[in-house]
Amino acid sequence: MSDATHLTGDLTVAGACEHEARLKYYSASQWTLIWWRFRRHRAAMVAAALLGVMALAGIFAEFVAPYGPVTRDTQYIEGAPQIPKFCDAAGCSFVPFINGTKTERDPVTLRAISVPDPEVRHYVQFYVKGEMVKLLGFIPIDRHLIGLRPESGQKIHFWGTDDLGRDVFSRTIYATRTSLSIGVLGVLISFVLALIIGGAAGYLGGMTDNVIQRATEVIRVVPIIPLYMGLAAAMPKEWSTTQVYFAMTLILGLFGWPTLARRIRSQLLSIRNEDYVIAARLAGARPGRIIAQHMLPGFTSFIIVDLVISFPYMILSETALSFVGLGLRPPSVSWGVLLQQAQSVRAIEQTPWLFIPAVFVVVAVLAFTVIGDGLRDAADPYAEAS
Amino acid sequence: MSKMLSVENLSISFRTDEGVITPVKGVSFTVEKGRTLGLVGESGSGKSISTKALMQLLPGTARLGAASRMIYTAKDGQQISLGNLRHGSKELRRIRGGEIGMIFQEPMASFSPVYTIGNQMMEAIMLHRGLKKREARQFAIGMLNKVGISNAAARVDQYPHELSGGMRQRAMIALTLSAGPALLIADEPTTALDVTIQAQVLDLMRDLQRELGMGMIFITHDLGVIAQIADDVAVMYLGTIVERGPAKEVIRNPQHPYTQGLLDAIPSLDHLHDRLKPVPGDIPSPTARPGGCPFHTRCTQAIAGTCEVHEPPETSAIPGCAVRCWLHTSQGRSAA
Amino acid sequence: MLRFTLERFAGMVVTMLLVSVMVFLIMEIPPGDYADRYAFRKYSGTGVNVTEADIEAIRRDLGLDQPMLLRYFDWIGGIVLRGDFGQAFAFETSVAKVIGDKVWLTAGILFATLLLTYLVSIPVGIYAAVRRGSAVDYGLTVFSYLGLALPNFLLALVMLYFANRWFGADIGGLFSDQYRDAPWSLAKAWDMAKHLWLSAVVLAWSAVAYQIQTVRATMSDELNKLSVTAARARGVPELKLLVKYPARLAINPVVSTIGFDVNRIFSELPIVAVVLGLTELGELLLKAYLDLDMNVAGAILLLLTFAIVFMNFLSDLLLGWLDPRIKLGV
Ligand SMILES: Nc1ncnc2c1ncn2[C@@H]1O[C@H](COP(=O)(O)OP(=O)(O)OP(=O)(O)O)[C@@H](O)[C@H]1O
Ligand SMILES: [Mg+2]
Repeated sequence: MSDATHLTGDLTVAGACEHEARLKYYSASQWTLIWWRFRRHRAAMVAAALLGVMALAGIFAEFVAPYGPVTRDTQYIEGAPQIPKFCDAAGCSFVPFINGTKTERDPVTLRAISVPDPEVRHYVQFYVKGEMVKLLGFIPIDRHLIGLRPESGQKIHFWGTDDLGRDVFSRTIYATRTSLSIGVLGVLISFVLALIIGGAAGYLGGMTDNVIQRATEVIRVVPIIPLYMGLAAAMPKEWSTTQVYFAMTLILGLFGWPTLARRIRSQLLSIRNEDYVIAARLAGARPGRIIAQHMLPGFTSFIIVDLVISFPYMILSETALSFVGLGLRPPSVSWGVLLQQAQSVRAIEQTPWLFIPAVFVVVAVLAFTVIGDGLRDAADPYAEAS
Repeated sequence: MSKMLSVENLSISFRTDEGVITPVKGVSFTVEKGRTLGLVGESGSGKSISTKALMQLLPGTARLGAASRMIYTAKDGQQISLGNLRHGSKELRRIRGGEIGMIFQEPMASFSPVYTIGNQMMEAIMLHRGLKKREARQFAIGMLNKVGISNAAARVDQYPHELSGGMRQRAMIALTLSAGPALLIADEPTTALDVTIQAQVLDLMRDLQRELGMGMIFITHDLGVIAQIADDVAVMYLGTIVERGPAKEVIRNPQHPYTQGLLDAIPSLDHLHDRLKPVPGDIPSPTARPGGCPFHTRCTQAIAGTCEVHEPPETSAIPGCAVRCWLHTSQGRSAA
Repeated sequence: MLRFTLERFAGMVVTMLLVSVMVFLIMEIPPGDYADRYAFRKYSGTGVNVTEADIEAIRRDLGLDQPMLLRYFDWIGGIVLRGDFGQAFAFETSVAKVIGDKVWLTAGILFATLLLTYLVSIPVGIYAAVRRGSAVDYGLTVFSYLGLALPNFLLALVMLYFANRWFGADIGGLFSDQYRDAPWSLAKAWDMAKHLWLSAVVLAWSAVAYQIQTVRATMSDELNKLSVTAARARGVPELKLLVKYPARLAINPVVSTIGFDVNRIFSELPIVAVVLGLTELGELLLKAYLDLDMNVAGAILLLLTFAIVFMNFLSDLLLGWLDPRIKLGV
């Protein structure tokens, strides 16, 4: 900070520009500053871009995914990923294509298996006609981002198919929507709870605070996944997928608040007796208003950081619960549900492409962590001002 | 009287995110056996890092200038070039503590909080005096007694946080002296203490220095303290020594405008109604070091066209004293 | 120190009490009660027609018609006074029998994991802090990020896959076939040790990733402390200096989070157990949940949480001993 006052006599042209830049810097709002600092955090920017792409793909899953999440392709069961190519033995083309498949019997096991048919080429097309779906749940479209022409009579499976012939790529896109949205809803629920609980403890203090602190302590010592499991196990078996979905968000949100509530409490406690808060109280403002208008804005940036870094826990918990069969249930698709099909070493050996959803889990969790770190650095008012 | 430490042309630079900065540039001073050199200057003028350089205590980002010479004469008469000692060498370890001891500004932070005072003292004693544990403990208790800590036999087993601030600094002095250094570097040892304790600690240090015949470098930004404790003084401004000489001489007859400013800034009991007279302006940041004489931006007597362009040479108007100021060169006087 | 210990002990007991209330509530959540499920399980498919009155009879027999508060005291009283956790319906025996020596297997896994965690993370974290900014430090940071992002079951699968390729097929589980049901012997213990390491590696993974960062951060702070410079200025040899001053203090946050690590390990246990085929409490807990055998599930949840609370207590004591400032309340 002090540097600005030491601008010594000779203001050359470059000096003047720098001076202006500095003026802009010192008059920028808190959020502009945070954004400027965040922008310089390259890893966090990359992570944010990745997450953005994931979120978009999830939101527009009906359009991005060539097929529905439960559409079966009986021609191509447990099939390997089909990578579009530009060249084969018959020469090259500008438009990527895949070879056709034909069914033959395995000479050893006598099972029917699909083998490539080099005679046929199917060209990969953008914006092709396909299944009729409802974009965002209400806009009917029959076009998809990418796929094969319906006339070809064949489907393309970029990431292969599972044991029922369902397209792993399409399923992963749909699962992205489910898993990310569960994360968002779960975080929102725990945020609201944290605000209420932490707010009450920090604002009221005294006895209320003591009781809440005790309760928080208890929730923090119980191992979280077994706790979630207990609640998830109680979901009636006959519930619909939607009911289970919302129950899951509720369960995840219900116990995600302790860390954030603690943060809010300690921040509130520390500014409870600041003059401006007392002034507001004397002026007769209601507690909710005092907290929201006068106390929270001071540490909103920290709350946001905490929210961002609590995403990974939500995502990993959902994945783990669904993986062991206590979370979402088929026919819902989430990353965890998809990974349920990849529970054994046999799967690694024979159908490794079923693990592709795991890459999404790792990337999403990493991205949230890196963004959280970037935001934390950016929100730190004591970070280098240069 | 003989020189025990002679520093010539010491320059220190740091690699930082904003590029290389050189907060200490061409510093020279000497310390005589049994005498105290006072090092004065405002915050950030480079007093601490100059002395840390002597014991290779600077962080890895620091580099010494190629022309820097630091020659130390050990207790056994051997001349050691402090800049050339290898890291981790036995010789360096002997210098640290055994030859040159250091006391820091924060007595609390200088002790590790998880070991008793005695533990940390005995470590130094066993290292440098080759005593066994039991003897080392006795020695430590003796040392604590010497610095005026009552009930030393009990204090030796206490943790640093169980002592008061003044006590802690006394214990730190005991700890440093127990290794038997010939040269003591005290980096603002009294700044963190309240005034009455300050005077006591200052007295203690002066007495101990006389008794043990040590050389001492006493760092402070208070010329008043210098008058009490130092034989010689060097005034530092922005990494250079602008004036040096016998303490009495410099205080009675300051040559450099900066020294004059510092002396004027000392509040005096006789003139309580006057306003305080601080040296005008702020110390420039090390990244924006002014060219020419570093003090010209705040100097009331600066000679336009000279001071901001050329660095002044060191001249000696009064025998035994030296000053770096254009006002004291024939060239500068004619220009003024 | 005595006062400090007693205070912490009282705190532990209160927390355990509250935890037991919470676990009891969780046991009560699933629709229907023990009698319903017992009758359904016992008689479904047998052709016997179970009437509401039969179920009512079972309910009365077991005291399930009592108000909730009474049942809670009955339940917790049984556990505390007689070590009686009630009946396990899926196995038609007492919960205590079902759990049996799985408690010791679980404890074995826990301690192997903790040992591994600290043996790796403390030295590595210290090294990373001393070599801050080097390639090794950078690599470790990347590892830590990955370690926290990788779902544990996935890691378990991958490890199992490679273990199978390199060490032969019989690496999963806790015992080889010939020892699974054999009585305890030295050979059996050795066999278990040979299987244990895989689970320990998988379970320790994220704890290591986390603790390396903790140690590295504290160690970096400590390295910059004046007390370290002061000790260096006294000529303390560098290695001894590192160990005695900054490293000694960098261990404190690790000690204070032992309970947290145990929590993390127990949290991962049921999931990892599925993949690795471990036959301990985590796996049993999952099974019990899937069967809605809430007496067994509740007992295990309670035991695991008590273990965590107890470890918290131990870590408090250890910390009080390690850091003289704490027990003096400075
Ligand atoms: N590790 C470092 N990296 C970069 N610059 C440094 C470092 N240590 C010191 N400096 C620079 O060296 C300058 C002098 O520091 P030093 O601690 O010697 O000042 P000082 O004269 O002792 O001041 P004070 O009276 O406040 O102790 C500082 O202004 C700082 O800019
Ligand atoms: Mg200093």
